[in-house]
Amino acid sequence: MSWNEFWFVLVGCVLAMWACRVIPLFLLKGRELPDRLAQALGFIPPAAFAALVANDLLNPGMFDAGVWPAAIPLVAAVASALVAAKTRSLLWTAVTGVAVYAALAFFAV
Amino acid sequence: MFSREHILSAFSAAVPIMLGYVAIGLPCGILGNTIGLNPLQVALLSILLYSGAGQFMIPNMFLAGSGVAAITASVSLVNTRQMLYAASFAPQCADSPRWLSALFAASVTDESYGVNTARFAEGNWSVDRALMVNLFSQSSWTISNIVGCAVGAAVDIPVSIAAFAMTAIFICLLVTQKFTSANIVAMVVAMAGVYLCKALGLTGPAILIGAIAGVVCALAFSAIFPRRATPATTAAAQTSGGDDR
Repeated sequence: MSWNEFWFVLVGCVLAMWACRVIPLFLLKGRELPDRLAQALGFIPPAAFAALVANDLLNPGMFDAGVWPAAIPLVAAVASALVAAKTRSLLWTAVTGVAVYAALAFFAV
Repeated sequence: MFSREHILSAFSAAVPIMLGYVAIGLPCGILGNTIGLNPLQVALLSILLYSGAGQFMIPNMFLAGSGVAAITASVSLVNTRQMLYAASFAPQCADSPRWLSALFAASVTDESYGVNTARFAEGNWSVDRALMVNLFSQSSWTISNIVGCAVGAAVDIPVSIAAFAMTAIFICLLVTQKFTSANIVAMVVAMAGVYLCKALGLTGPAILIGAIAGVVCALAFSAIFPRRATPATTAAAQTSGGDDR
């Protein structure tokens, strides 16, 4: 990637990112939030994390190459979820997830 | 604000994120190296853009032959989910100075959002500590990216395995949510929404559309069944006024 291409991507992405990160906070900051809005904000964490997990794990046509390649991340995800429920630790969940994923990928070859 | 005690508590809250960012930052830097980015460029991206998903997408799309406009648009679409995070911190930032709120909002990520939201919900948390969680995490991310880019292809870490650290962190943040009926509606609809968006070819905005669909359906659900859904509102209500300085 050339410097020209790099600057284009950097400036464009950063402007969009800062707008998304900073503007909503200042629009809502210091106001008495209506009940409905406060309730909606409370639903953001479960919805957002479910969406992120689904985005990483689910793809239309994920089983096209056979069951096993798509099953590896799913099995690792189940293992991660069990450890997360048991320990509530980000670190142990990440370690477990990567270890199970690596082990399954190793044995699948 | 920014007392020794606050710094230490912020650091201990940030440690799991920092270690996770080493695991995904190194392969991200290595990937940057493969498209000819130098450590300075990777540092600029990490400090200014500070987006894990975004910084993985840029080299992946470039390698796949996408143009800079398509890359910028796709990364920006994926990052629109940040609007939801920033907005949700408005009550906690109500009494904070403008510069502190702006700096905090500009450095929120998926992982630090999850950690700070949990801490605010427990009480005894404040915007200065939340900002330091963000900055500790960002330092780890930036350093890991620079190191990854500098050592480059000398190390051969399979990117898909290392990147699963990020997925596992999202799973932990999801599993530790309160499983009220309304929250479960939000989760199921969000996951279905993401899958549906991808099936329709809307890969870029899939996360945002899925998450918004989840929030909207959970709101509708709690309007139809007000009694069963009430526990979900407490997390948002509790957190206002938790800023003890």
